[in-house]
Amino acid sequence: MTRLLALLLALLLALLPATALAFGLGDLQRRLEATPSLEGRFAQTRHLADLDSQLESTGHFRYERDVRVVWTLETPVEERLEFSAASPPEMGADDRRQAQAAALFLDLLQGHWQALEERFTLTLAGDADAWRVTLRPRQAALRQRIAEIRLRGDRYLERLALDAANGDRLRVRLFDQRAAEAGDAAP
Amino acid sequence: MPPPEPRRRLLATLWAGLLLGCALLLAWQLRDGLPADTRLTAMLPEDRRTPLIERADDQLGQAFSERFVLLLDAPSLPDAAADLARALQAAGGQHPLLDRLDWRASDLADRGPGERLAEARYRLLTDDVRREIDADGGQALVAPALRALFSPTATADPVADPFGLLDRWLAARDTSPVQARDGLLTVVNGDRPQALLIGHLAVSPYDLAAQRSLTAALDAFRADHPEATLSRSGLVFHAAAGARQARGEITTIGLGALAGLLGVLLVVFRSPWAIAQMLLPLATGLLLALPLTLLLFGRLHLLTLAFGASLVGIAIDYALHLQCRRAVQGRTFRLRALLPALGLGLASSLVAYLAQALTPMPGLRQMAVFAALGLAGAWLTVVLWLPRLRLAPHPVTARLAQGWWRRTGPRGGLSPRLALVGLLLVVGLVAWRLDADDSLALLNPSPADLLAEERALQGLLGRDTGRRYLLVSATDEPRLLERLEGLGATLERWRDQGADFSVHNLADSVPSPARQEADLARVRRLYDGPLAELVAQSGLPARTLARARARLETVPVLGVEAWLASPLGRHQRRLWIGDTGDGVASLILLNGLPAGPGAEALDTRLRALADARPGVTYVDRAARLGRLLGELRVQIAGWLGGALALLALGLAWRYRGRTWRVLTPPLGGVLGVLGIYALAGIPLNVFSQLGLLLVLGIGLDAGIFGAEAEGRAATWLAISLSTLTSLLAFGLLAFSATPALHFLGLSCLIGLALVWGLVRWAAPGAEASPMETADAATP
Repeated sequence: MTRLLALLLALLLALLPATALAFGLGDLQRRLEATPSLEGRFAQTRHLADLDSQLESTGHFRYERDVRVVWTLETPVEERLEFSAASPPEMGADDRRQAQAAALFLDLLQGHWQALEERFTLTLAGDADAWRVTLRPRQAALRQRIAEIRLRGDRYLERLALDAANGDRLRVRLFDQRAAEAGDAAP
Repeated sequence: MPPPEPRRRLLATLWAGLLLGCALLLAWQLRDGLPADTRLTAMLPEDRRTPLIERADDQLGQAFSERFVLLLDAPSLPDAAADLARALQAAGGQHPLLDRLDWRASDLADRGPGERLAEARYRLLTDDVRREIDADGGQALVAPALRALFSPTATADPVADPFGLLDRWLAARDTSPVQARDGLLTVVNGDRPQALLIGHLAVSPYDLAAQRSLTAALDAFRADHPEATLSRSGLVFHAAAGARQARGEITTIGLGALAGLLGVLLVVFRSPWAIAQMLLPLATGLLLALPLTLLLFGRLHLLTLAFGASLVGIAIDYALHLQCRRAVQGRTFRLRALLPALGLGLASSLVAYLAQALTPMPGLRQMAVFAALGLAGAWLTVVLWLPRLRLAPHPVTARLAQGWWRRTGPRGGLSPRLALVGLLLVVGLVAWRLDADDSLALLNPSPADLLAEERALQGLLGRDTGRRYLLVSATDEPRLLERLEGLGATLERWRDQGADFSVHNLADSVPSPARQEADLARVRRLYDGPLAELVAQSGLPARTLARARARLETVPVLGVEAWLASPLGRHQRRLWIGDTGDGVASLILLNGLPAGPGAEALDTRLRALADARPGVTYVDRAARLGRLLGELRVQIAGWLGGALALLALGLAWRYRGRTWRVLTPPLGGVLGVLGIYALAGIPLNVFSQLGLLLVLGIGLDAGIFGAEAEGRAATWLAISLSTLTSLLAFGLLAFSATPALHFLGLSCLIGLALVWGLVRWAAPGAEASPMETADAATP
């Protein structure tokens, strides 16, 4: 009897770390959301298949969860781009398109899988210290534009790769990331 | 001199043979269903119809009838919307209710714009881009193009479209208030997003099974989600409400009237057989009228069928008089004594209705021919068949007739002078105060709350069912587009000056070839300096420049067909009429026009705008259909007046000094109804006027039989039964919630009651008959 109990206990102990290791999208989302505000630098490469050439840009960013991303280009041009989640209801169609793209970008940055699952099939690989998420469009309409999106990271998202259907490739590397004080005035 | 017995038998047999022929003809005509027509305009003469406007009207109504829209508000929008979508998609089971349901953001996700549009993009500029290029060649467009190249959220295509011309143009075309949010299609109502579901019906909105399954699905959803609110738009909901109302009224008003009618007849005749004999003429009348009208006109208008069948109902008078007379006189009954009155009754009704067969309105002609044939058929059955059918009169009938006569029989008392004074008074009152109402609301039986819901939802979506538009035609497409552009510019100027409405114009999406050529020239300017600057600043390879410019060498012109075939252009298909035989036509839809006094001024302005230009017509659908109804009403009234004058002459020939007594019940009934309407401020409309036709027919019969006045008790019983049964059959319709039936019924209710009272008063009763001496004391 005691032997049986000991065996069960041993079995349980053996199982425990295994369950702790099963790293899911929910865990990842909680992990990414643990940092409400983040800032860092980026390097972006856009490969244009048609011209067989690269467009490179660098700059810094600041991200406030569920609110907005401020994307400040430093080279080759100086430009401040802002992508916000909430879109004013009276916006025109032109802004609406951009708002949709901005919403997708924000969803990708903060691992908002529920929203992404509507349009993509998601596969997660790796563990908490080195995870990879692959997104493939569900609908034919979106497949005409995006072939695949890959995300990679550890504590934060580090790489974003987007392969467009026409062969163009977008690669974004995020580095020097650190949690920012929420409410810090962003320029 | 009535024909002798063998000849009468021969005539009865001939009549049976003719009816048999009609039955065979009808069966052959109905082999693929009744060729019925429901268009109101089909009631109009050919030369007054405008096929182009009708085509435009049909096209505008199509989306409203084939689709429905639901707007859902709930605390947990995604879950509730998913539940509702599931319920709708499952509705109908084996025969699905829907072809398609759009409710997820991806259902309306922008598909590729289409190859043709992509090729033509260098000819398509938004107003903003055009202004920028005209200002300084388009320098200001370089910065946004640079941004797009380096933004992580934009797509960049430096060869095909470095300035994003196509995206800008497409975005400017998309004016829909529908937004994607949480994977749903949403519309912002107030400050809350609400989910939008668009159902494409697989069947007709009038399909009763489809209406039932839709209603059941929505009811089940409401029961599961008491916290959610739904608003609806679409013909199917109005059709379902109409069908439900009709079902309810058939069970209450219809069955009530039928039970009352049969009850009264049973009390009087005490024999189902006697009643069956009275319904036989009606059946044979319809059997004669239906195939012959179809033979003459090819198709039957539904209004003809509805009102024609009601008018044939007058024929029950003949049967009532015959049966009452037989019941009271028993073996001493001879048809010959009744024939003059029967003949006059038929002749007067035929004159009244056939007058309308002379009108230029094919719809009225059809109705008149139908009613006349039906009356004649019923009359022939009464005269040829009924006397031959055995009837064992119940003694109660005769007693009832005598008692009824003693208690209520005509007392006379109306003098010609009094009648004339009354006539002048009522005519004066009618001329002074009676209004007419030809508004389209008469044809719309939808309950007010459903209409309000419909209006609110369509306002939210920024569209309506297309009630007002400019119909524009020209000899070819380029000229048409130029006309549309000119009108669009004028309307835009009005809007700048403060006029509040929105415009849907095809030329906003498909510019005229001239404008496309000018815009291509602008793009060539843009691709000169500004493009070189963009390439230099962005670090794109120099070959980008040559390759981008090469795209401008052969650019196809965007035509209407190509645009309408593209995903965005599909929404504008309802604006395109296309080939008209001698050119092409399109329409400019005007939405959200103001109501009230501002509307009239704008209406006048729009009409003047259309009149001043060739090939342009301003159409206000509601006002146009209202005018048609009004025309119908005036035509009926005019021809009826003429027929009455003719009748008065004919009757004067027989009745001489007593003519006014014959005419008092029908004329008094009709004028009395008009007078009461004038006093109560109820406007006259085409349906209340059709009710007056019934009052006139029954009143004429009552007047003639009252004046003939032979076999007084039996005649009086027949007159009373005739007005009472008609009151039950038609007068009770006054309690219907369907406007058309309500007004028809109201006229009958008041008119028939007046007819009965006037016969009592106007018939030469008191002074002539020996029977009432017993009760002479009664005033």
